[in-house]
Parts: sequence; structure tokens; C-alpha cells
Amino acid sequence: MSYVSLAQEIIAYVLMGLGLIFLVGSAIGMLRLPDFYSRVHASGNSETLGTMLIFLGLAVYNGFSDTSAKIIVIFLFVFLGNPIGSHILAKTAYKTGHPVWTKKHAKEAEEYEAKAAEKEEN
Amino acid sequence: MINTDVLHDKSIVGSPIVHLSSMTIMLYVFWLLLSGNTQPKFLIYGAITSIIASWVCYPLLLIPNFDGTKKYFVFGINPFKVVYYFFWLMWQLILANIDVIKATVRHELDINPCVVKFRYRIDNPMGTVILANSITLTPGTVTMNVTPDGLYEVHALTDGAADGLKDPSGMPGKVAWLLGQDFEFDVVEVDY
Repeated sequence: MSYVSLAQEIIAYVLMGLGLIFLVGSAIGMLRLPDFYSRVHASGNSETLGTMLIFLGLAVYNGFSDTSAKIIVIFLFVFLGNPIGSHILAKTAYKTGHPVWTKKHAKEAEEYEAKAAEKEEN
Repeated sequence: MINTDVLHDKSIVGSPIVHLSSMTIMLYVFWLLLSGNTQPKFLIYGAITSIIASWVCYPLLLIPNFDGTKKYFVFGINPFKVVYYFFWLMWQLILANIDVIKATVRHELDINPCVVKFRYRIDNPMGTVILANSITLTPGTVTMNVTPDGLYEVHALTDGAADGLKDPSGMPGKVAWLLGQDFEFDVVEVDY
């Protein structure tokens, strides 16, 4: 095993910690956002940065070697591949007519529910 | 039999010899990285393999423009500009990501989803692809559909993301600079 210096270790931990924050943020978004399209933002995109920061942290921890270069190559493939997956999911949903949630729809739904509640009371 | 038509094709933008050699070098570096071996046998095998692979794949990596008058090589982009664009995109990614996480973690969701439709015309078809992919990569915006004549339908999560999309000097301008070409940009419609 190669020797890992303290500075290297600290930088690696900071990068991986930041990556973890972004991944947790994306998980929260996945649970809280209202519809399919906005969840694609949370799952597909915030995750990209989280994954990339963790890979970068691993590369720094490993030091200057061919393993780090391979980790950087994986990182580039994630960078190219992840948006394509998100795009295909969103495109298929859009072409098959899945409705897009907007604030207008949320208000209409609230009004509808209020009317239904009034009817029940009467 | 080796078909040398591709070397004399006048509709290809740039020189086929330069394209072939740059692709061979790229593949050879990739081979060296993955094999990690420096014995002469492996170096020679790698060189032969990358030459053959680039020669076979080259015609597949030529894409015609919308009129069909010119053919563009997929990797025929200035590598220094690519590196600059990569770091610029990473910076945009971090900024946009912080915005989206702020909007989703708030007590009340600070979102206003909308569909932005805009038209972006550039001669090189790679420009269309790079723009669509960069928009999807940036959090807060997902490309939902792109037509071959350049009509984009983009889902934007927050008001800030939607405003960023409508700015022609932002990402569309950077993509045009990356490819060194002129572009047309106009916002068609915004659906709230």
C-alpha cells in the first residue's frame, strides 16, 4: 500500500462529504417533489454532482496513479451517460402524454377539493 | 479491400487525415490507460488495434447537417475549448445544484415548474446534441424533446432555472463558441 498524506486524506474527506450532502439533497427532493418530471430533476441531476464528487474524492485519496486515472474515466462516463438516461425518461413520459404539474393545477385541485368538502357538508 | 472514398469526400468539414490521426491517438491513450502495461508487445498491439478501430469507425462518426450538404466529424472539436467548456459546465452545475437543493429543502417548496419552448439553430448537429445534454445535466432543467430542426421543449423546475434558459448569451452562446459557429436563438413559448 502506498503512503497517504494527511493533506490528501483531508481533501478526500471534504470532497466525499460534499458529495454526500448533494446525494442526501437529491434523496429529499425525490421524496418531497410533486410529480414525475420534477422528480427526474432530483434523481437524475443532483445525483450526478454527488457521484462525481465522491469519485473525485476517491481519486485524490488514491494519489497519482493509473487507478486514479481510471476513476476519472468512470467519472467522465457518468458525466456523459447520466443526462442521457434522464432525458430518455422525460421524453418517453412527455410523448405518452403524462401531464406536467404546475402551480395552476395545484390551485385548481385545491379549489375542487374545497368544493367537494362544501358539498359533503350540505 | 480498403475503400478510400472517405479520404476524398469533399463534403467533410476539416481534413479526414487529421481526424483519423487524432482519433487513433485518443484510442491509443485509452488503451495505455486501461492496460497499464509498458512491454513492447502490448504497445505494438495497441497501436495496430487503434489504427484499425479508428479506420473502421470513422465513416460511422460522420454526421450530416440538416440540409445534407456537409458532414461533420463527431470529435472534430478543439480539445482546449472542450476542457474550458467542461470546467465552465462543472461550475454551472454546482451553482444550479445549490439552487435546486435550497428550493427543495425549504419548509414550503419554492418551485414553479414550467415548460419552456425555444428554437436553437446551428449548422453542426453536434451543437444540438451538446446543448440538449448540457441542459439536462444542469439541475433544474431537463430536455424533454428535441426535433431535428432545433425546437427544444425543456422542463424547468424553478423560476431562476427558467430565466437562465431564456438567456441566449448563456449556454447556447457557449456551445456556439465551442463549435466556432453562428447560431439563431428565439424563445417560442413558456407554459406555466
